[in-house]
Amino acid sequence: MDFTLDAEQDLIVQTVRKFADRDLRSWTADADRAGTPPERLIATATDLGFFDEVSRDDPASYAHLTRALRGFELGRGCAGLAALLETNVEPALAVATWGQAAAKDALFTSLSTGGLAAFAHDSRGLLTVVPAAGDLHVSGKLGPVPALAIARHVLVAAGGVLMLVPTSKLTLTPITPSGWRAACWATAQLDGVVVPADHVVSSDPAAIATLLAWARVSLAARAAGVATAAMEYAQAYAAERVQFGQPIGTFESLIRLHDDAVTGAIAARLCALHAAWALDARRAEALDLASRARVLAGDVVARATIDAVQIYGGYGFVNDYPVEKLMRDARAFEALHGDERLGRVLTERRLQEAV
Amino acid sequence: MDLFHDNPLLAGVRQMLGSFALRSMRPIAARHDREESMPWALMKEASPFLSQTAALDGRKKLTGLEDDPDPKKPRTAARIAVVGSEELGYGCAGIALALAGSGLAASPVARMGTDEQRAEFKKLMSGLDDQGRVKVAAMALSEPATGSDISGLKTIAIPDGDHYVIRGSKQWITNGLSAAVYVVWAQADPAAGRAGVRGFIVARGTPGLVPGRKETKLGIRASETAQVHFEDCRVHKDMMLGQATSAEGAATGLSDTKKMLDSTRPAVGSQAVGIARAAYEFLLDRVRGGSLHGTPMASHQHIMFELAEMQMEITASRMLAHRAAWLADHHQDNVAEASMAKAHGARTAQLVTTRAMVLLGEEALEPDHPVEKWYRDAKIYDIFEGTGQIQRRILARLLTGQNPT
Repeated sequence: MDFTLDAEQDLIVQTVRKFADRDLRSWTADADRAGTPPERLIATATDLGFFDEVSRDDPASYAHLTRALRGFELGRGCAGLAALLETNVEPALAVATWGQAAAKDALFTSLSTGGLAAFAHDSRGLLTVVPAAGDLHVSGKLGPVPALAIARHVLVAAGGVLMLVPTSKLTLTPITPSGWRAACWATAQLDGVVVPADHVVSSDPAAIATLLAWARVSLAARAAGVATAAMEYAQAYAAERVQFGQPIGTFESLIRLHDDAVTGAIAARLCALHAAWALDARRAEALDLASRARVLAGDVVARATIDAVQIYGGYGFVNDYPVEKLMRDARAFEALHGDERLGRVLTERRLQEAV
Repeated sequence: MDLFHDNPLLAGVRQMLGSFALRSMRPIAARHDREESMPWALMKEASPFLSQTAALDGRKKLTGLEDDPDPKKPRTAARIAVVGSEELGYGCAGIALALAGSGLAASPVARMGTDEQRAEFKKLMSGLDDQGRVKVAAMALSEPATGSDISGLKTIAIPDGDHYVIRGSKQWITNGLSAAVYVVWAQADPAAGRAGVRGFIVARGTPGLVPGRKETKLGIRASETAQVHFEDCRVHKDMMLGQATSAEGAATGLSDTKKMLDSTRPAVGSQAVGIARAAYEFLLDRVRGGSLHGTPMASHQHIMFELAEMQMEITASRMLAHRAAWLADHHQDNVAEASMAKAHGARTAQLVTTRAMVLLGEEALEPDHPVEKWYRDAKIYDIFEGTGQIQRRILARLLTGQNPT
């Protein structure tokens, strides 16, 4: 066993870390207040190769471990902007892996001209999917979904089907939730939207489970990054802030708050990396590890961001300092795709009852 | 007096403010949170029974009854405060603080002020301001460098003839931008240390009193928080608190201010209980009649045990707050119980709102979702009025007499 990064991974980590520290962290507060990403984001990220990394012809070569390493660094920079930078991966990878030529043509032509794609999982069961003359008719509410407001396509997982839908067919309502405010969220109303058969990407439960595992690992890695950032900020503040004649970072209770959060963040990162490695290695346990990574990362990012605000005290509660945003940003990691623990419990119960 | 059951008076307060919370606070809570605006119209509407100067008025406005004049008899003020605070927190914590924030300033005037100072404070608070709004007051104690450690105040009050010249800046001041009157705390005698700190009543418009920038906050956004600057602000010495002797003895400096903060802790903890109860009931409402993959939500232990846990924590927090209030009303020391109530209530509010959000999944990401708002509101209860760490420090010191670091 070797935890050392190879040269390519190390280069990517160093590059993205620099991008996160220098650019994302300088943009994040204004982007949060404005509820929109900086204009430079897409151009800068395109230069860094964020949007064209999935090969249409060879999706199996995609490295989830590299993505997780990168996602952690992006999470350290800004959760909302990270969501935009990661948004193409699931649609591109899924369509390249399971899609038909028409769907591949539509999506990859769009991506090659700077178009974005979003991934929406109907975790609340708000959509109805009805087969009709070989096509699918989809109705109901979709979202909230990050990046949907600016995406040209959305990959929808609903009713046991994966389908690629141009957003021009949807009635979009851009929204600005409390967290990831710069992530160009939207909800969509679908009134009998027709999805042609050649845009049905898959109806194989295993494909949908695999897709969700990709998303879970990515979320977990970014969440670990947010938790790490929260404690980086908190540690710096605690070293400077003096109360009762000593830096508050020297009080044992705050040392422990910080220390436990860092322990959690390290564990969450490693779990995400392990799950990503298992995905890349096509290990049988990869999907389960991805789910477990998200459970842990959700707990860790919730605790770390709440505790970072606590360490900042009154300053933590106001928008001039970075951690109140992190506490808002933490929620989406657990909310997207629904309660992870509930899914695990229900799956395990079904398995036990089937025995 | 039975600790575990409401008497008719407390039941009446609970019923009245609970109804007010649902009918008058909830419908406007999301808007004021989103717009970060004070609920001025509701504050005016509620002023006949929720006075901004309640600490000086006694309980009659709220309950219709006068306080018992016999100081040896049990009071009900602390229990009314915890019962009422839970209901107001249940409605909207931000609006609750807008409705009650002036009490922070009125309380030291009631406790330490002379008859003349009380009358002046009430005069300054009477009527409406130039924008037709009810007048509010601000307690200006915390400073940029002085959050938990309020003994390190940097604001100074320099004697100058019949006046004091106040110089310094205050931070995190409720009603700091809009107040008609400020009770500002400043070091009037540096050689005396803590004992030299005094409170001063300062009217809005006094030269040198400069309301500062309003803060954008994580939660309680319907309550205004701002900086306040005192730039050589001249205040007549007659407006210095601490010249009176109350029934409980001389009340002068910072130690009495800290006692006053101690006295509000059960109600602060209780307000946090109200937030937790709001999130818990929202979730319970979703579960009742709801289904999950064709089975009743209520049949799932995963969900129901979470609700049971929430119910346990909420009940425990409420009992701690009521116990602390009961002790105060019976003239018994309650420092430990007050700290427990405050710290436990804050923890419960954070626990319940966080777990409720997880269980609601993507629904809780919708803008203006009440549980998401309660999640943001809950955090301040572990910070203001003494952080969770300060409460534990108080408890630890009571155990051994030492301040652990």
